[in-house]
Amino acid sequence: MGREEEKTPTPRKAIWSGNISIGLVNVPVKLYPMIKEHAFSFKLLHKENGHPLKYKRICSKDEKEVSWSEIVKGYEVGKNEFVVFEKDELEAIKPESDKKIHIDKFIDFLSVDPVYFDKSYILAPDKNEEAYSLLLTALQRLGKAGVGKITLRTKEYPALVYEYKGALILTTLRYPYEVVDPRGIEELKELKEPNPEEVDLAIKIIENLSGEFDITGYKDSFKEKIEELIEKKMKGEKVVVEKPKKEEVKELMVALKETIKQLEKK
Amino acid sequence: MGELTRVEFTNLDKILYPDNGIKKSQIIEYYIKIAPRMLNYLQDRAVVTKRFPDGIQEEGFYEKDAPKEKPSWIQTFPRYSKTTKKTINYIVCNSLDALLWLANIAAIEINVMLSRIYSYENPELVLFDLDPEPPADFANAVEVALLLREVLEDIGLKSYVKTSGKKGLHVVIPVYPKYTFKQTRVFAYSIGRYLAKKSDLVVSELKQSKDPGKVFIDYLQNSLGKTMICPYSLRATKYAPVSTPLEWKELKKTLRPEKLNIFNVPKRKKDPWEGILKENQKLEVN
Repeated sequence: MGREEEKTPTPRKAIWSGNISIGLVNVPVKLYPMIKEHAFSFKLLHKENGHPLKYKRICSKDEKEVSWSEIVKGYEVGKNEFVVFEKDELEAIKPESDKKIHIDKFIDFLSVDPVYFDKSYILAPDKNEEAYSLLLTALQRLGKAGVGKITLRTKEYPALVYEYKGALILTTLRYPYEVVDPRGIEELKELKEPNPEEVDLAIKIIENLSGEFDITGYKDSFKEKIEELIEKKMKGEKVVVEKPKKEEVKELMVALKETIKQLEKK
Repeated sequence: MGELTRVEFTNLDKILYPDNGIKKSQIIEYYIKIAPRMLNYLQDRAVVTKRFPDGIQEEGFYEKDAPKEKPSWIQTFPRYSKTTKKTINYIVCNSLDALLWLANIAAIEINVMLSRIYSYENPELVLFDLDPEPPADFANAVEVALLLREVLEDIGLKSYVKTSGKKGLHVVIPVYPKYTFKQTRVFAYSIGRYLAKKSDLVVSELKQSKDPGKVFIDYLQNSLGKTMICPYSLRATKYAPVSTPLEWKELKKTLRPEKLNIFNVPKRKKDPWEGILKENQKLEVN
């Protein structure tokens, strides 16, 4: 739990292997997860003895526990109205992962709206390194991305394949029906035209604050504080519960100290 | 904030200037920063505030009588009012904490009386409130203020100028607290009349105050119980302008009063009115 420099996560093991398929050409690849979620999750414990809690599935009618063998899946079609599916029924229509990333065409990477981006994976060469290297170099030169589809577990995704930091990356995409059209938002329908003077001022402010994108400047302060607390607790230190002062209160205190100093001088 | 102030700040995130997204925390921060200058003008004066607890887009309300929830350490000045037949407890904002308490109750506009509480009926300031009526504008008010300064100088009086924070200007002369309000009012009125004769731009009678394209020299604020917006008070209009004391040489027709606001007034190097309260003058012309 290093508190010094934030390290990027190390690669984990491959979760999928198959081929990038472009027409008749196949490039064998392995798929590594690229994103490591950093949200903290806590286990629920029994306060009295510290043991983890267990979940039971209880029937809402007779309050009795139900075993897995007695469970079916239901899709709610109306209030308390369900269409029932047996396990085999769902099994039968599951998309087969054909172990292929089907590339349909190549597009300019920058032409994809970022709102469609879902999850990213690293594609590593699987045995045939020449084919991989060839595709990588060509995509890099052109700044293009292959667009196609992949089946991961049971879901079929649109996906992009492109070069990043000397590797091929696969990014799954959202379907259009998963992305809300902002034109449907009520508040946006009758947006007033700003007055030109204010626009000029806003543009000046933005220009003054313009710079290069640098993600390393952003920190999750909640995560850092949790890590700090975990460390303390592991060392057996007593943790004092203290409500954090908001950033703006801190700023006010700084200004207040300065003013008090000035007033004392008088 | 414990050891630094007795004021318990609340709802710091509340946006009080919706057009500019200015939050209550920023208003408090402004008053903290400006306090070393502003407290000079609040010292021993009864204040009347205009409060905007729900932001400046709402009406707001004037408050003369100190609210019940006022902490015990806030100084007040009780004064029996013949018109309302009750005693009004005016707030006297003599400390940093009192100023911050006012900021926290969203008393955005802070007005002060022209007299001090210990010589309540004898003003220490004579106020000329220059109020341009459209199409006359701020630049016209500047023109009149410069003219007024000259006239006052000719009779040996030193004057000071500040923006009202809105479209007008305030010119004041510090005097010994020995005149009555009636005397200072008559004085201001006669100067106004003189200027009205000299310049087509100027009007001096209340009934002319809405004459289009004219600048009215309002002398009526020189009355017992009347107030003016305190130097360095914020105004409850777009851009959070400040009623800002100026050097005479800064007063130009191109000056934009809204550019003297919550963000840049605290950065101004010095207070152009410094010393004004020690420069009492006599109104009698020698």
